[in-house]
Amino acid sequence: MQPLLKLSSVKRSFGAIHALKGVDFEIMPGEVMGLVGENGAGKSTLVKIISGFDNGYSGEYRFNGESVNFSSPAKAELAGIAIAQQELSLIPTMSVAENIFLAGHNVPTIADKRRLVKMARPFLDEVGLDTINPAIGVDRLSVGEQHLVEVARLIAHDPQVLILDEPTAALGESDSIRILDMVSRLSKKGKSIIYVSHRLDEIFKITDRITVLRDGESQEPRTADTLDVNSLVELMLGRELDIMFPERRPKTDAEPLMRVEQLWPDGLLEPVDFEIYPGEILGLAGQLGSGSGEILAAIGGAQLTRSGKLSYSGRSFLPSTPKQAIRAGIAYCSEDRKLDGLFLGRPIKENLSSPSLGAISRLGWMSSAAEWKLATSIAEKFTIDASRLSAEAGVLSGGNQQKVALGKWLSIEPKIILVNEPTRGVDVGARAEIYQKLRDLADSGAAIVVASTDIQEITNLPDRIITFYRGLKIGELALQELSAATILKQITDPFNETNL
Amino acid sequence: MSMNAATNDPEIRSTLFNRMLDRYSPLVVILVALFAVVFVYGMVTAPNFLTVFNFKTIIRDAALVGIMGIGLTFVTLSGNFFLLSMKETAALSIIAFAIAMSNGYGFELAFLFTMCVAVIAGMLQGALIGLGGNPIVVTLGAAGLFFGIASWWSDNLVVSFRRPHGAEWLGSGSFLGLPNITIAFILIAITAEIVLRYTSFGRQVYLIGANRAAGRATGHENFSMAIKTCTIASVCSAFVAIAFSAQVSSAHVNYFSSEFGSSGDMTILVIATVMVAGNSIMGGYGSTLRTSLGAIFISTVDNMMVLHGFNSGPRVLAVGLMIVFSIIVFALVRRGSRVQE
Repeated sequence: MQPLLKLSSVKRSFGAIHALKGVDFEIMPGEVMGLVGENGAGKSTLVKIISGFDNGYSGEYRFNGESVNFSSPAKAELAGIAIAQQELSLIPTMSVAENIFLAGHNVPTIADKRRLVKMARPFLDEVGLDTINPAIGVDRLSVGEQHLVEVARLIAHDPQVLILDEPTAALGESDSIRILDMVSRLSKKGKSIIYVSHRLDEIFKITDRITVLRDGESQEPRTADTLDVNSLVELMLGRELDIMFPERRPKTDAEPLMRVEQLWPDGLLEPVDFEIYPGEILGLAGQLGSGSGEILAAIGGAQLTRSGKLSYSGRSFLPSTPKQAIRAGIAYCSEDRKLDGLFLGRPIKENLSSPSLGAISRLGWMSSAAEWKLATSIAEKFTIDASRLSAEAGVLSGGNQQKVALGKWLSIEPKIILVNEPTRGVDVGARAEIYQKLRDLADSGAAIVVASTDIQEITNLPDRIITFYRGLKIGELALQELSAATILKQITDPFNETNL
Repeated sequence: MSMNAATNDPEIRSTLFNRMLDRYSPLVVILVALFAVVFVYGMVTAPNFLTVFNFKTIIRDAALVGIMGIGLTFVTLSGNFFLLSMKETAALSIIAFAIAMSNGYGFELAFLFTMCVAVIAGMLQGALIGLGGNPIVVTLGAAGLFFGIASWWSDNLVVSFRRPHGAEWLGSGSFLGLPNITIAFILIAITAEIVLRYTSFGRQVYLIGANRAAGRATGHENFSMAIKTCTIASVCSAFVAIAFSAQVSSAHVNYFSSEFGSSGDMTILVIATVMVAGNSIMGGYGSTLRTSLGAIFISTVDNMMVLHGFNSGPRVLAVGLMIVFSIIVFALVRRGSRVQE
């Protein structure tokens, strides 16, 4: 059988940076091809070339046996290659049906809403949204459902190749499952799917073959069942990854560092109480919408609450702005580093010093030497390349951006570090480094609180866990009680509502 | 490409340098080339262009707009867009100053009084913007308010004060052969650049401008920033108003709308000054140095057109074209410099 799409020795450089140094890639009709690699290995560049966003490459690109060179994504889409990107491109105020036919192909010039609704139905069924009314607004859907609508929109153009770029990165467990179901359904119908993901468990679940990119070079594609997680990670890193998760510590009898009392942010059904101990990593486990992230935001002063107090270092208070929290030694990292974790257009050095301008200046005058010293020491601890501190943070890959977003908090020497989704969109290598760094911080006496929807992460990183389900605190699990099954049960079905 | 790999690659090090060249060279080349074209054209066609006197005139003309532009640059860099009330703030200030002067309070008191008015005007707008008001709407409203107060206060008449008065040194004095207003422009330009580069306040301007949400998350609130930057812009407007009034020994609310300079509307001219040198309209990128150079550039083009006998229509057109051109050039340069890992 001939490959449907085949790229041979594709190279792409940006200035002196060689993003792709020679990549071969192919996909058969009806195949699900996994595309994995560390951040910066060249996945995004390759995906951009395939989907027509970038045609400044050298090498051969054959589609349906013909040599092609798409000068725009629209041309690639017309030829039958569609891409669903990480950022959604739906218009929230319009209905599901209207969004599906946004581009206007295959739609009569004058189409009333009822007709669009009828036309949208089969595509929604195809992606598994058979219970959704196409007439309702997109803003009433969950993020996962919105991703499915986005795919339905692409399917309406009947593409031969569908590229899914980290479709589950922002999704909880149950939404992710719907995406995976959709992928297998579409591949059975003969669509070829390129599936880009950092979640290795998904890659093994749904792909037929896997192409690994490393430092801009492609490895021979492997069939999924000849690999396991360890061998795949080894292919991605080019070395064995000794440990993903650092060793954990059982709870000591230390006095709590902070008592959270009757804290009630939006997104929770009732106020919560819990304690945070020095030297521990506490995990808040829950799916999207469980309210665990809101708790962190509230402690960090980033979100208003209805009630609540923090008893902490001899006083009882509740920060109403991040500024107050920072002053009290509380650092908060939101789940969206691009939104409020980084100054993408400013140098890395300025990002690292941003929370502690006071510490590097005297009477309002900044000391350039002090800033360099601070930035260099953080860069060293977080393995950020010190020679690039003057470069804009925006040029970094996801993993390195996350290290900067987290690392900047070292500058205030925080006693409590709150991290929502510490490794979203971060590759395995950087992930292990971040876990180790969080553990080091805990060992130095700080308290770390992590909220995560990633079940592997939340099971293996924290010393203690509090579980949440739809705005309710469900339970607390000590180190010896931690298991993926218990946690999953508590965060997805604590009240035995479904009989599985 | 991962960072760790990058360190070991000698090519990457040179890339940093190349990237800087990539970013600045087309910009510098284009601006210098444009300046050279204007310059040579002026030299060849207008015999009076290349005289010391004319250069002093150019800088002097640039001074008033330049000072206001420097003030506005703080607002723009901090991501709070523009104040559309620049000329009305100046109108309110010039009336305040002239009335105080004509009532015989002397330069120092009149100056202080005017600055108080400007600080209140700036803080008011800044507070509204800081609370989440749209800068355009807030400052359009403020513009109407200030202009209304000023024309009511002055009965829409020219307020004049008799020479000799204590402000003459600022209006028409000179030092070492340079007009005092030119010296003030140079001093303000240097001070502003130093503040932006070397103080934590300056850094906060850039950080909040680059990403307001991240600024808030790292403890830098836009509320106080908006108040501070709007006050700076307002005070700069007032300073220009005082200098202008000192020069003509009078004031009228319309001095900055119709009679001022060549290009008619002062607010538009000030915004042009900020834009033409490539300060990012979204904030977080640019400098007051750029604004100062922008003011001199616009002034040079304008001067040349005056020497060629153009009237105000074509001169306004030229300013408009410069803005459009610079926006396009800088947008392209910025996009070109974005290298993804």
